[in-house]
Amino acid sequence: MAEISREYMEQVAQMWNARGKGLITHMALEIENVSSEGVRVRMPFNPDFCVDKDQTLLHGGILTALLDSVFGLANFVTIKGISSMATLDLRVDYLRAARSRADVIVNAHCFRKTRHIAFNAGNIWFDGHEDAEIARGTASFALTRGDTSLLEAMTKGKAS
Amino acid sequence: MNLQTVNANVARVPFFRFLNFEVQSMDDFHAEAEMTFEAHHIGNPIMEHYHGGIIASFMEATAAIAVQPDFTEVPAKPINLTVDYLRPGVKGPLYARANVTRKGKRIASVSVITWQTGREKQVAEGLYHFLLV
Repeated sequence: MAEISREYMEQVAQMWNARGKGLITHMALEIENVSSEGVRVRMPFNPDFCVDKDQTLLHGGILTALLDSVFGLANFVTIKGISSMATLDLRVDYLRAARSRADVIVNAHCFRKTRHIAFNAGNIWFDGHEDAEIARGTASFALTRGDTSLLEAMTKGKAS
Repeated sequence: MNLQTVNANVARVPFFRFLNFEVQSMDDFHAEAEMTFEAHHIGNPIMEHYHGGIIASFMEATAAIAVQPDFTEVPAKPINLTVDYLRPGVKGPLYARANVTRKGKRIASVSVITWQTGREKQVAEGLYHFLLV
């Protein structure tokens, strides 16, 4: 498969983030790095995502949501010609309590892609504490390939 | 525990308010809840489907309540989860049922299903573990 240029991947990633709706917008993600090795994304602290009264402990579910999103992004930037993509399954281990008001950093990559399926892995830590992972996840995605790429559909804002 | 007390507990959790769900039935071994569709639940920007992570979060929340409805400060501590996504979650209410498969002294195992039009048409199913100590 032909190499995908860094410029293309960055353009796709920014598009994904800008055109994202709903939860993606609410998570206010910042794309920090994009390459064929994977993607790194920052999620600023958000009190809505906490479970405690003091709002310092993140709910596991938001970490799961973040992994699911960033896996999608990793596939989107590294696999060309995807017209749609659906999460098949997802496994997440919560490695320690996510107690901090620091930004959350996610690293995710696609470790195997076939015509129909992509396999992903990723991990999450609080900014500045890379040695203390808070969650790790793996997922598989069903890919639909077609003439209308997801990128074009998003650009035009039409249904794929 | 009565439903009113459980839902008052749910309302104290910021992220549970973000999910916007209500517990509709429960006993010692299960909990059922209904989540209202919100714009911030959208995952697919083209079709307005639920974000997979929101579905998994709602399942985790329902499972935690089935295990520990009377939590004082924070809901039951999750250890890990696996989710199978079976159908897209479309705009509209989403229902979840969590069954406590086993509740020991330290660990609980919970299976959860979600659906929209009928229980037999599951949107997702999952297994969740919680640490009770």
